[in-house]
Amino acid sequence: MSDTFTCVRCGLVVITLTPDDVRRNHCPSCLSSLHTLDHAADGASDCRGRMAPLSIAVRRDGSWALVHRCTRCRELDLHPTAADDNQLILMRLAVRPLAEPPFPLDVFGTL
Amino acid sequence: MPRRKSTSRRTQRPKDVLHRTGAADTFRCVGCRLHVPVVAPGTAHRNHCPSCLTSRHVDGRVPGDRASPCGGRMVAVSLSVRADGEWLLVHECTGCGALKLNRIAGDDNALALVRIAVRPLADPGLGRRAMLSL
Repeated sequence: MSDTFTCVRCGLVVITLTPDDVRRNHCPSCLSSLHTLDHAADGASDCRGRMAPLSIAVRRDGSWALVHRCTRCRELDLHPTAADDNQLILMRLAVRPLAEPPFPLDVFGTL
Repeated sequence: MPRRKSTSRRTQRPKDVLHRTGAADTFRCVGCRLHVPVVAPGTAHRNHCPSCLTSRHVDGRVPGDRASPCGGRMVAVSLSVRADGEWLLVHECTGCGALKLNRIAGDDNALALVRIAVRPLADPGLGRRAMLSL
């Protein structure tokens, strides 16, 4: 097991451990990941496609988790965000639904 | 109906599956026990309750294949936006942790949807820290 990996999208060499001593699976700069672990197959996946960040989910303890989708096989995966992840992309993913609402949001001011 | 013209889309798969109630045109929500009609405005693939947005883990990889033995309750954890401006709900199975995407329907509860949309920003600690560090 190496302690660095190279990002498949931006080529950044990333140290595997986050500042909080947790193993990371995505690049802190572009938040892309590699599809090596699969939920449905319960273990290793041989797809090895690039996983792009899709949206932000909030865990029950209030921490953020990143939903990734494989650009090759469309598999979804959930991973906690690290402290040094790119805050601009995280914030952009978080506000994206509110920037394009399917219905007018003015009504919620009167509730 | 997409809100913006999208370039290339595969055609939708037809949905012709029976629900557990035995009736072809209604299913019962596992979250709030509401009887939900299968036909919904704006979508041909309704998989979640319009009132509490809860779904059920019955499908495997292909929508409608009924290949999953899990059958657990799936709660909506986050919202994503497609390139053509449509909202997608991300469901997580409470039984096995699997994730699924589904487009929102026209009669989905708007308050429940917005509550999920603002949830990342609602937490004062993380949201503010992210905003300040920009």
